Amino acid sequence: MRKRSLKNFTLRYLVLAILGVIGIWAGVFYVVIIEEVYDNIDDGLKDSKDHIIKEAASDPGILNTNAFGIAQFKITKLPGGWHETGNQIYNSKLYIPQEDDEASVRMLRTVFKKDDQFYRLEVYASTVEEDDLIENILTALVMLYIALVLSILLLNHILLKKAWKPFYRILEKLRPYKLGAAGKFECADQKIREFDDLEKDLAAMIQRNESIYTQQKQFIENAAHELQTPLAIASGKLELFMDEGSLTERQLLKIEEVSNTLNRLKRMNRSLLMLSKIENNQFRAAEKVNFNKIFNELADEYDSLIQFKAIQVQIQENGVFEFEMNRELAIVLVSNLLKNAIVHSEKDKWVEITITSGSFRIQNEGTLPLDEGFIFERFSKGKQNAHSTGLGLSICQSICNLYGNMRFRYFFKEGHCFEVAVS
Amino acid sequence: MKILIIEDEAALLSVIRDALGREGYITEIAADFDQALDKISTYEYDCILLDIMLPGGSGLELLSEIKKNKKKEAVIIISAKDSVEDKVNGLDLGADDYLAKPFHLAELNARVKSAIRRKNQNGDHKVQWRNITLDPDNRTVVVNNADLLLNRKEFDLLYYFVTNPNRLINKTSIAEYVWGDYTDQASSLDFVYSQIKNLRKKLSTAGADADILSVYGVGYKIS
Repeated sequence: MRKRSLKNFTLRYLVLAILGVIGIWAGVFYVVIIEEVYDNIDDGLKDSKDHIIKEAASDPGILNTNAFGIAQFKITKLPGGWHETGNQIYNSKLYIPQEDDEASVRMLRTVFKKDDQFYRLEVYASTVEEDDLIENILTALVMLYIALVLSILLLNHILLKKAWKPFYRILEKLRPYKLGAAGKFECADQKIREFDDLEKDLAAMIQRNESIYTQQKQFIENAAHELQTPLAIASGKLELFMDEGSLTERQLLKIEEVSNTLNRLKRMNRSLLMLSKIENNQFRAAEKVNFNKIFNELADEYDSLIQFKAIQVQIQENGVFEFEMNRELAIVLVSNLLKNAIVHSEKDKWVEITITSGSFRIQNEGTLPLDEGFIFERFSKGKQNAHSTGLGLSICQSICNLYGNMRFRYFFKEGHCFEVAVS
Repeated sequence: MKILIIEDEAALLSVIRDALGREGYITEIAADFDQALDKISTYEYDCILLDIMLPGGSGLELLSEIKKNKKKEAVIIISAKDSVEDKVNGLDLGADDYLAKPFHLAELNARVKSAIRRKNQNGDHKVQWRNITLDPDNRTVVVNNADLLLNRKEFDLLYYFVTNPNRLINKTSIAEYVWGDYTDQASSLDFVYSQIKNLRKKLSTAGADADILSVYGVGYKIS
């Protein structure tokens, strides 16, 4: 779902609500005004009626006005008998010859008696102007509505912008925040209580998380450190024991098994320490590192292994890849990836290294793509490799994560490709 | 040759002492800062193994004390921390080597020997065993008065064996020594086997008075 901004969200409801309020108000206003207008007209008609009846008493000629003309009334002689003499007022249509048109009129019909004769008097008043009035009222209301919405829009824009400014500022501060990263979340003194609370609570929460995170990191590092000495003792004692010369082959092989297990533990512990040191940002020193050089040096270093495994290793240098980073980490990164490729290559296969000015890629032959989600996970390892600690690739990833613009990815394209690119 | 081992962990201390004792070194021990300071300022040693974290003070302080007194001992730092800074600090302060725990005893032997050899001012820096002479500075080998050409890994291997003569060195230890070890031990042990096979061939062709023997498939021994 597309997300609406806070401003648009409130605005939408405000516009609808104002439309409703103005609509109801317009209805009520219209009814009241019309009531008043008719009241007025009716009073006028009654006035005219009294006037005509009074006039008829002194001037019987008026009684002969039997059609609406200029006089806006007509008098009809009624047949004999008794007739009700009440006022009837109603809206009607009337053909006005002067205007050659039907017009809405307000009509008063009454009966009066003169000299024992009943007459019906009908008086009208034009209501054309009331239609105009309604029209005018409606126009005024629509304009009022537009004016209101526009001013609310403007006010909303200004007010929200002003009132929510601290909120957006908090958001901005929160966005780049990374657990355990150097940038801290600092509180500014907010004028609005809610935002002040929000910011303080956020800061407190971050503080708590940071301290738990630091404690855990510290714990892992300490645990790994503390393990080093006992490991050194155990493996040292075994080494001395194996060297004693009085052991039978069977015993020696048994001790070797124990020693191998210990060695695995040592490697794993070392890798864990490495990981926690990378993540604790203990490799601070940075310099311009030339990866072409490192690749060539390491390929040279592993030459005997490469020859032993009869692998073709080719370094394709399309550019010089230089990057400002910790030299030791750069070597760890390259050697892990290179070793990874060599170890997972079978006899007579190839490993191709492609270096450009912004990336390097290590590609080794393979038939089935690896599960991308799985390979970077700690302690994940392929079936064939009993010596791996399963931490090599996660160390590579941790190293790349350390440098914001360094990306590490795996993809399958005519073999397994591990690529490190700088954006 | 006298070596002072400064280490607060008693069990590790005894392991190191045993290992160096077998190599014919006379060892002395110090288990805390004050004891160590006392021994350093009173006696002369050929080599000092120095743990950084000590009860009563830091090993690095001891190191600057040693250097301040213009002592000639080779100093090897042994640390559980394996941090770059410690290493750099230690080496800057004048330590000769840095060994991270946990280490193989054969590696410790090799390092101690190298350190002492480098400190040896009135002799040559070469390592000799029987009719094999290694020059670690130039990475050359002379066997039976004739140059023997070895590749880099083979040289490292031979150096490792010669600094640990007559001792069983297990395969993992060898692999880690020649391989360096950043993270995983990537090589299979077959690789070690093939390297040793080549080395043996070269040694016997050159007429070396030594052979590298396999010990029950557990490790190797030069004798």
